Amino acid sequence: MRRFLAKLLNLFRGPRAERELAREIDSHLALLAEDFERRGLSPDEARLAARRAYGGVEQAKELHREARSFIRIEQLFQDVRYGGRNLLRTPGFTAVAVVTLALGIGATTAIFSVVNAVLLRPLAYRDSDRLVTLLHYGTGPVGTANYIDWRDQSRSFEAMGGADYWSPNLTNSDPPEHLYGLKVTQNMLPLLGVQPLLGRLFAPGEDLPGAEHEVILSYRLWQRHFNAARDVLGKPVTLDGESYTIVGVMPPTFKFAPFWATHTELWVPDAFGAGIHDRGGNHLRVFARLKTGVTLQQARAEIAAITGRLERQYPATNRGVAVTPLKQNVVGNIETPLLMLLGAVGFVLLITCANVAHMLLARTSDRQKEIAVRIAIGAGRARVVAQFLTENLLLAAMGAAAGLLLAFAGTKALVALSPAYIPRVDMVGIDTHVVLFLLSITVLTALAFGLAPAMRAAAGNLSAALKEGGRGDSDGVRRNRLRSFLVASEFALAFMLLIGAGLMIRSFSALQSVDPGFNPHNVLSMVVSVAGTKEAEPYRRKIFYRELLEKIRGLPGVISVGGINHLPLAGDQWDRGFVIEGRPQPRPGEGPGAVYRIVMPGYFETMRLPLRRGRAIADRDEARAPAVVVINERAAHAYWPGEDPIGKRIAIGGGEQSGPPNWLTVIGVVADAKQMDWAQEPDPEVYLAALQHRDFLGESGDPIAPHMTYITLVARTSGNPADLASDIKRAVWSFDRNLPVSAVLTMERVVADATAQPRFEVLLLGVFAAIALLLAAVGIYGVMNYAVSRRTREIGIRMSLGASRTAVLRMVVQQAAVQALAGSVAGLVGALLLGRLMANMLYGVRPTDPVTFGAVAMVLALAALFATYVPARKASRIEPMVALRNE
Amino acid sequence: MPSEGADRIAVLQGTLDLIVLRTLQTMGPQHAYAIATRLLQLSGDLLHLNQGTLYPALVRLEQQGRIKGSWGTTESKREAKFYAITKAGQKALADETLRWRRMSGLVEKLLSEGA
Repeated sequence: MRRFLAKLLNLFRGPRAERELAREIDSHLALLAEDFERRGLSPDEARLAARRAYGGVEQAKELHREARSFIRIEQLFQDVRYGGRNLLRTPGFTAVAVVTLALGIGATTAIFSVVNAVLLRPLAYRDSDRLVTLLHYGTGPVGTANYIDWRDQSRSFEAMGGADYWSPNLTNSDPPEHLYGLKVTQNMLPLLGVQPLLGRLFAPGEDLPGAEHEVILSYRLWQRHFNAARDVLGKPVTLDGESYTIVGVMPPTFKFAPFWATHTELWVPDAFGAGIHDRGGNHLRVFARLKTGVTLQQARAEIAAITGRLERQYPATNRGVAVTPLKQNVVGNIETPLLMLLGAVGFVLLITCANVAHMLLARTSDRQKEIAVRIAIGAGRARVVAQFLTENLLLAAMGAAAGLLLAFAGTKALVALSPAYIPRVDMVGIDTHVVLFLLSITVLTALAFGLAPAMRAAAGNLSAALKEGGRGDSDGVRRNRLRSFLVASEFALAFMLLIGAGLMIRSFSALQSVDPGFNPHNVLSMVVSVAGTKEAEPYRRKIFYRELLEKIRGLPGVISVGGINHLPLAGDQWDRGFVIEGRPQPRPGEGPGAVYRIVMPGYFETMRLPLRRGRAIADRDEARAPAVVVINERAAHAYWPGEDPIGKRIAIGGGEQSGPPNWLTVIGVVADAKQMDWAQEPDPEVYLAALQHRDFLGESGDPIAPHMTYITLVARTSGNPADLASDIKRAVWSFDRNLPVSAVLTMERVVADATAQPRFEVLLLGVFAAIALLLAAVGIYGVMNYAVSRRTREIGIRMSLGASRTAVLRMVVQQAAVQALAGSVAGLVGALLLGRLMANMLYGVRPTDPVTFGAVAMVLALAALFATYVPARKASRIEPMVALRNE
Repeated sequence: MPSEGADRIAVLQGTLDLIVLRTLQTMGPQHAYAIATRLLQLSGDLLHLNQGTLYPALVRLEQQGRIKGSWGTTESKREAKFYAITKAGQKALADETLRWRRMSGLVEKLLSEGA
């Protein structure tokens, strides 16, 4: 302890202690000399002898200093000052190194900040790792009656709740708004463990039929529609024409549900109603909290047992129910692409390190003499390494500071560019995790690029370095090998990155050339919702839809117009089973099924979805006419192979429904159109006629009817479709000012959004690959340029001995080619291995795509050639006489 | 560098402090050179203390309060820093001596038994 204080004190008493030390050594030397004099040496000889006997004065001083105080800290200050001076002395080198490092560190940090927010941060619920979902095949909704059975029979969960999509119209406000909401069971919000900002969550009993008229608002809705008024609690709002009482407001950070219905802005209790006995109509998403001490495996085993039992009781239900951690639902789809991007940017960082490393190597060679002097006058080799590392750390810190600025800008750009599909992207930012990450990669980077050069520097041969002309003719073999290794690894990394980017580009262009089936150009779409307005009334709705389409068709600039319940690619998607007339009743759950859409006349024509046979749905297909259906080609092939489906009859729902089947006659076959997922082949699909669909027109009491209170209009225009948006909206409001219009999108935009994720990935990977290519080219240029300048004399000798300029040129290019080739071969192997990881991110291209590999090899070869050309030309222009004289 | 005699004894870690304290106790206040010379004589030229070893030891001991240095003049009127053992140093020396005796006794015992 006492020593510690003394040492601490000595940190500040450096100069005085130094004087004391010098005095003591002087006295020691004097006494030593005196002894020698006594033995008969002359005073001068004695002094010299004393010096010799004493040994290295500076080395002794250094050891004394180490014992005296916290030498490391003192040295650190010293090293930082010295390193700073050194870096300032070569501003060109420093600038290039800092910019290179900033690129690598900045890009890595930016991507990490996304990974951190999206993948690493826990979900914003209490003990969110205990939350799971119970869904069909991990993603699909389940039947209400099944949920109730699981809830009542299972023991693994603290609580189990459900949520159903509900998008009501808010009508007693201006403007009317079509909102996204959820109907939730009473325990759904409490089980998440988030307290409301104002008011309360739903109380037990509030989800019973007749009592379900409370609403909880999201913070955003509260801000937007209620001016953040604190007295909003207890006030009524009109949703879909019914009055609800506001009982709570959630905090700004609260989001539910996190992976589907992510735009939700309000929650109401779900009383289930008639759907409570429903096992077939799947629309409930089930969430649960695991009991403390219950593992995911135990919960899965229990649910498997329960659903197995239920399946025997109610055949064709309860199949494929998966218990999934909630987090996996949220980030499952984005995990692989994000990790791939992080890996890619890691490659860029590695290339950066390699680049800076050989810049430093070249520099240490030039500083060989300085190092030798420092070692000779008492610096230990460890001290020299430490000094170099400090200098490198300083360099890395400057790079990191610039990189942090870049990361700030880059993160903003990433969030702006990122398509809506990335969950939690609004949480992306620079937080402590990101800063810690930045600090650790800075230190690691400094070690990665600095350790080898520093060790190399300290390991030099003193006397050789000190000799005149210490700039040797050729470098040591080992140093050359290290440099070649660095260039080769840069090429290997660049090769892999370019392959990754190349494959994504190929995959993306394959996606771009996919035919959606319809023609998206010059088509505008928008959702008109009638819920809660006078147009929702039975028998009024049909007239309204007809008149609305008629009115829009009459607008100048509109070529044709149609309507559909769910727009392909952008809207919801329902799948229904059906039976085919005259075929044996299939076993439950194994009958034919199809994507289920309801269209107004004019839809196929407006979308230019080609009719293959038969006729399209027309005005005459209304309530009194025979019920009709149009199917897609896929359905025709799947269910009527080798037959003509026209005239055949099907009944939707089939065995599930009681009463006589409602037969629909197939009147036409249309081309396959893209459905939910751009990259997937379309499934069988059926289009029913809206004007004879009683649920769609609100003329039945069916529980499905409340989900059919809106229509998506599509209009083909002669000019830019976006220009007609306000005209069409005005046409809608001419019927009723209370009609909310939402999701106004051109079909081109819908298609672009459907390919937004690959576009984002390809853009980022492309940028990284370009940076990598540039850095690798700069790297090989730097190394070759340096090698040529070191070998000026050797080349001069070769030329004076008769080597031609071409031979010299060839020699230099050859050397570069060997390095680039070695790196590319390693990169090729790496790319083949990594390609397998990418396989399921690719569309229409195999991970071993020869075109990509060929193109990348060409690009890299060209880059290497360009980068080598300048130094090689310089070498071939060396004047032998000048070169020999110079050195 | 000091001459590297083949028979040079390497100072066992931790024993240098003991040796220095003992030297100062028996000889009274001494300067570094005298300590080094004394040890060289005593060991029959075998213990050749590197200056780089002796100085850190002196600094360490002074910081621990076991010795105290003050400037004075030698018989030949040279200025030198004289180190004297302090009370704490006396006590430390007694403790260390005891410990050393035990340790060396143990080692001796082990070595003779093994033979």
